[in-house]
Amino acid sequence: MSPRPPTLRENRRYILVRVEPAGTAIDQKELYYAISDAVTSLWGDAVGGVIMQAVVAAENGHVIIRCLRGTEKELALALSTLTACREVRLALRIEAASGTIESLRERIRAEKPGTEPSSEMVTGSAGTGDGEPGEYVFAEKPFLIGQCNGQKVDVIEKGFKNAHRLFLTRSDLENS
Amino acid sequence: MKITDAAVFPYPCGDTSVRRLALEAKTLGFDSLVAMDTPAGSFDGVEILSGIIMQDAPMRDVIARVKRAKDSGAVISVSARDNGFNRAAISLKGVHILRGIQAADKNAFDHVTAKMAADNNVAIDIDLSFLIGARGVIRQRAIHRYRDVLTFERRFEFPVSLSSHARSYLDLRAVREITGLCSLIGMDTAGVEKALDTVGRVTAPPVSAVRVVS
Repeated sequence: MSPRPPTLRENRRYILVRVEPAGTAIDQKELYYAISDAVTSLWGDAVGGVIMQAVVAAENGHVIIRCLRGTEKELALALSTLTACREVRLALRIEAASGTIESLRERIRAEKPGTEPSSEMVTGSAGTGDGEPGEYVFAEKPFLIGQCNGQKVDVIEKGFKNAHRLFLTRSDLENS
Repeated sequence: MKITDAAVFPYPCGDTSVRRLALEAKTLGFDSLVAMDTPAGSFDGVEILSGIIMQDAPMRDVIARVKRAKDSGAVISVSARDNGFNRAAISLKGVHILRGIQAADKNAFDHVTAKMAADNNVAIDIDLSFLIGARGVIRQRAIHRYRDVLTFERRFEFPVSLSSHARSYLDLRAVREITGLCSLIGMDTAGVEKALDTVGRVTAPPVSAVRVVS
């Protein structure tokens, strides 16, 4: 099948979104189904068929989503109703929209690398308490650092059962 | 104008500390948050207002609790129930917001209640979590109820507040996203801006009808 001439092709737009929480493993296919669900649930099949959303790339905690030009607003609204993908809680923060994937990739590259899965990022009395190295105490419970980005610290409760993830700041850990 | 999220639930009700919520709210365009059962403060330039919600309590208990909390500086909210309860709650001095109208009876909010809300400067809350997280019939009912509330709002001009009811920072949405979500219920950008500023207006001390000039 020969490709369509440019004048007969549909014009598309690409939306760059950041996936929160940082460090979430993204399966493009699963995310596509989650986005399709959100679009269909909000706008129905008729509008969903016009938006023609697709996940075209997932890299560095960012996802590029394609849609038909003129339907960015509808897609953005549907993306803001997305709360989970395969029972993993997440949020998609829209950063930019563009006519080319390359310009969005440049934007991703321009962003400074943020997250560090390290416990050495947090200093203070909490980290040097009675527990093991790398273990922090918050609200009298032991936690391990999951992700660290500037002031933001994601911690995971230590233990086999009910290993909750909490979203804190350095000040929380230092003051607890 | 202060952009305020009228209800968030930090740790231990949720999984995010109040400081982290403030940090994230700042990046999403908010100036202040009403944090439930949390002391007031300010983190990273975001003002945290203490909030109290009274729900599933008989009117006698609500009156007693409002009396106790009135001078604490907290934003006092009451969960909506039947029409009679709502009218009584709105007429209570010290109540700032009536919440959960989408879950209340069909006739829980009528033109009389709307007029009372306008007269007493009590805000009716729109819970965005129903627009974000709910699906199917539940979301459709919420949209219908909010549209109904906004019809009364245009007629009687009572304050309307917007809250994310976020228990995690993942539940927070940017102001631009909130504007988009509110377009689903027929609220325009000016209406959203006004609604995001409502907490400041309903908690401000009332201006006396009579002013002593000498």
